[in-house]
Amino acid sequence: MAHIWPIGGGKGGSGKSFLTCALGRLLAGLGKKTLLIDLDLGAANLHTLLNIPYPAKSLSDFIRRKYPSLENIVLETPVPDLFLISGANDTLDIANLPYEQKIKTMRAIGKLNFDCILLDLGAGTSFNTLDFFLISQNGIFIATPEPTSIENVYRLIRSIYFRRIRQYFTASDFKALEEEAVQYFGNGAYAKPECIMQMVQRIYPETGIKLDNDFNNYKFKLILNQLHKQDDAGLGPQICKLIEKHLGLKIDFSGNIAYDEHVHDAICQRVSFLDRYPYTRTAGDLRELSKQIIYSAGDQLMINYS
Amino acid sequence: MEKKFAKLNYYEMLDLKPDATLFEIRHAYNVSLQLYQTDSLISYSFFSPEERKTIQDLLEKAYLTLINEKKRQDYDEELIRLGVLDETAKKPVVKTPVSVFDINRAQGKTGPIKNATVALRAKVIENQVISEILSREEVSGPDLQMIRKELAVPLEHIAQETKIRIDYLHGIEGDDVQALPATVFLKGFIKAYLKCLCLEPVDEICRRYMNRSAFCGGKA
Ligand SMILES: Nc1ncnc2c1ncn2[C@@H]1O[C@H](COP(=O)(O)OP(=O)(O)OP(=O)(O)O)[C@@H](O)[C@H]1O
Ligand SMILES: [Mg+2]
Repeated sequence: MAHIWPIGGGKGGSGKSFLTCALGRLLAGLGKKTLLIDLDLGAANLHTLLNIPYPAKSLSDFIRRKYPSLENIVLETPVPDLFLISGANDTLDIANLPYEQKIKTMRAIGKLNFDCILLDLGAGTSFNTLDFFLISQNGIFIATPEPTSIENVYRLIRSIYFRRIRQYFTASDFKALEEEAVQYFGNGAYAKPECIMQMVQRIYPETGIKLDNDFNNYKFKLILNQLHKQDDAGLGPQICKLIEKHLGLKIDFSGNIAYDEHVHDAICQRVSFLDRYPYTRTAGDLRELSKQIIYSAGDQLMINYS
Repeated sequence: MEKKFAKLNYYEMLDLKPDATLFEIRHAYNVSLQLYQTDSLISYSFFSPEERKTIQDLLEKAYLTLINEKKRQDYDEELIRLGVLDETAKKPVVKTPVSVFDINRAQGKTGPIKNATVALRAKVIENQVISEILSREEVSGPDLQMIRKELAVPLEHIAQETKIRIDYLHGIEGDDVQALPATVFLKGFIKAYLKCLCLEPVDEICRRYMNRSAFCGGKA
């Protein structure tokens, strides 16, 4: 079974698609059979970054049952060992992906026969983004060193924490749980997963233990992208520490990626940044990161829906 | 989440080891003040204003407890009683006699201390008031005090670091001849004081303090 790395980031433009693509190329370059899945259906980009301007098939063909299996819609790319499931030409908004379709897609992803699968998720915190992020234990958060981006990544992290708790309960039980939390902690508790978690531990101790287990097993990572020279390189570890201290979630900082104007040039010319500018700081950072990621793959974790 | 944070013990709150020195505690508190201040890039969008206030209050309480010898001892005993702290984690502070000329002790041992030293050096270089004082022919006790205040270093900190009694230090800053030790000791004290504040060159500044025309130094 493949290792799956969902890549999310809350804020648009932080570099999710660029990073997905670059990591994909590097993993494929290491001889890993690698698949990129563009799940940013409203605003799919990966095909363009890979210079496949008119993808013949896309995810909506699977969802609309034009093809029976995900394998049928896998596209080859100009890069050896690198494959793509495109999200292009989609009239379908993933935020409206019906529940059954989503489960079906997630199960199918879990069964695909690749070494590595990278998921490019859309910005924001829609349920679909959250559920796809939780498809494996290896979720990667990406942000830039700007207050807006950091704000959104915190929001995404909280939403994912929340969503994981939510997955263990029926809608009505969860609502009761939320009300209980508000009773106990006051009005702010609605938006706070850590408060809900305390209520779970109190009222459903067994589920509390399972959740604790889940959260201990997650190997979430944070990457900071587009660091300028004047930015504080120590920012990432401090963010992770804050999250661990106050949210109780362990997130490993994987590293900084330097900002480089040539990224823009490479994207405009539709060439691989890594191939065109291999000796830049940014390319070095990306290579370092790909090694880190491949050596720290956690177990898979498919969500059981109640 | 402040609930979660509130459950940490004071050492954990400030990211300290149980045997942290006063210097390390001050440093850790300064770092945490910066981390939790309103315009910190790292924490500003993480907390509501109320949560931030709660955390800042907790940190202050932690700091004021750990910085006070008696309170810290009581707190440690409480932690040991609760089984949170291992008795052996607190190495008993061995009081050994130290030479007054042993003035290198405070420097370059551990990370935070090194960083603090670097920060202090930078401040000394950048600060206008300090540069002005250090360019004079003579340096008086009140001059030293002014420098120390510019650097925001409490006198107790110097006492702790140099192991010089605080009344001597008061005497040095107040040019209080009565309170000063014999000249031979005084020179050592001044040098230790200067090193503690990263003021250089030590020998030269010491000379400008000792050789003032209106100053008759310590007792013979
Ligand atoms: N390390 C970098 N140095 C310089 N520019 C970068 C870097 N990473 C990304 N960019 C720039 O940021 C832009 C946005 O990147 P990208 O499309 O990957 O973001 P995204 O997170 O996928 O956005 P969206 O949420 O809209 O899909 C790119 O067009 C690229 O020019
Ligand atoms: Mg994108």
